[in-house]
Amino acid sequence: MVKPRTFGYFFQSAGSSLVRNSWMTLASIGTVAVALLVLGVFMLLAVNISAMAAQVEQQVELTAHLADMSSQERTRLQSELEAIPGVVEVSLVTREEAWQRLLEWYGDDRGFLAGWEEDNPLRESFEIRADAAQRMGEIAAQVKALRGVAEVVYGREIIEQLLSITRMVRLVGIGLMAGLALAAMFIIANTIRITVFARRREIGIMRYIGATEWFVRWPFIIEGLALGVVGAVISASVLAWGYYFAVRALVVAIPFWPFAAPWPLLQQLALVLLGLGALIGVCGSGMSVRRYLDV
Amino acid sequence: MLELRKVTKAYPNGPIALKDVSLAVSQGEFVFVVGQSGAGKTTLTKLLLREEKPTSGQIIINGRDTTKMKSREIPYLRRSIGVVFQDFRLMPNWTVEENVAFAMVVVEASPRLIRRRVAKVLELVGLSHKAKQLPGKLSGGEQQRVALARAIANQPALVIADEPTGNLDPETAWGIVKLLLEINAAGTTMLMVTHAKQIVDSLRKRVVALDSGSLVRDEERGEYHG
Repeated sequence: MVKPRTFGYFFQSAGSSLVRNSWMTLASIGTVAVALLVLGVFMLLAVNISAMAAQVEQQVELTAHLADMSSQERTRLQSELEAIPGVVEVSLVTREEAWQRLLEWYGDDRGFLAGWEEDNPLRESFEIRADAAQRMGEIAAQVKALRGVAEVVYGREIIEQLLSITRMVRLVGIGLMAGLALAAMFIIANTIRITVFARRREIGIMRYIGATEWFVRWPFIIEGLALGVVGAVISASVLAWGYYFAVRALVVAIPFWPFAAPWPLLQQLALVLLGLGALIGVCGSGMSVRRYLDV
Repeated sequence: MLELRKVTKAYPNGPIALKDVSLAVSQGEFVFVVGQSGAGKTTLTKLLLREEKPTSGQIIINGRDTTKMKSREIPYLRRSIGVVFQDFRLMPNWTVEENVAFAMVVVEASPRLIRRRVAKVLELVGLSHKAKQLPGKLSGGEQQRVALARAIANQPALVIADEPTGNLDPETAWGIVKLLLEINAAGTTMLMVTHAKQIVDSLRKRVVALDSGSLVRDEERGEYHG
């Protein structure tokens, strides 16, 4: 086994190769980052789509967004709604309440909503609870038929669609990632090949002064590992930053969507990406080490 | 400490490089290996370092048959042998000190031991004052001294010097040979492959002569001849 302190030498050796082949280093890191970024984007999409499906699935509630109306009309509409068989409860959500909920939902991130207070864009709605999720279809149809109801939001039939979209997004993401990861691996392998070539003199000296095979290999493995991990860190950072801002923007555009909270989702994703990056790096350098180092 | 038993090395589609060579060297001996180019001297060195395996025969170093060693044991065999080549084989972008220390880094010696030993061997070869210089700034003789310092840094029992004076003028060459004699006097077995007739003839050490792969002469206080 190699002693821990020897890794100092390995890291130094790998580091100087990375700096010397700066173009190949950048190309390798770039492809790893792109491959993992693509995977990450698709994974985040999938997570959010299935979150929606899960939310919809549990619903025994539907929301009837209302057209502008007088309070009399509203009271009449409420009793009409309560009369529908299967409806257990009908409660009014005023525009102010809707706004408060939105603020709550955002918690500490609510700052960007500041400008909207004066001009609340939300509509009044009735939240209608049914006694069973299975009856949602018929209830929704009846609610929709009533006058003053602008839009009915409820789920069941879109769950299947959402889930199949989730599956597809996952598949496409993994497929694209696999292709790009393979490309990244070959680019890393090529980078390592160049390093092995640049160091052949040193490797020759190492061999006849009695370096073990692992001693010779380690710097190259570390170099590949570094390329993969740095690529992963870049993709994870871009994703975290992008997701944060994308959700902030999208929440306004589609407020009903249950966007997955950035934490701990991004942390988990980052760990997965780091693991994959490390794997890509080690496999890539392994390919060259096996090919060009072992005689 | 070193023994060859009926060693033959034939390269595929090539001539036989070594033919039935038997040779025994005891601890602390100084042996010249002489012969024309292509006589098998280089092959002998490669076999001793286990860069190559003989086609038949046994090579015993420190009581172990190296032809039966597994590949993961070879590094440890090489640690017991110091090697010096005609072309020095130093890393041009490392300082003298770093080049010597590298042999010890590879065997994972402690930093303290490395510092101490590197200083000691550089002093022995008379290059303490050039420790921080790059090999390119040094003369050929000095570079060979660095290589020699590196070869003995791990205190090997055997040093193989493969034409160590081949690239040096006679005066510088003598300086290297004196160092080899000093190292040998301290107990290290020395195998010097050489073309330098003058050196061989004036030292009168043991001479082993190879010709077309065969061992043709093994004299206790020999001369170069041919």
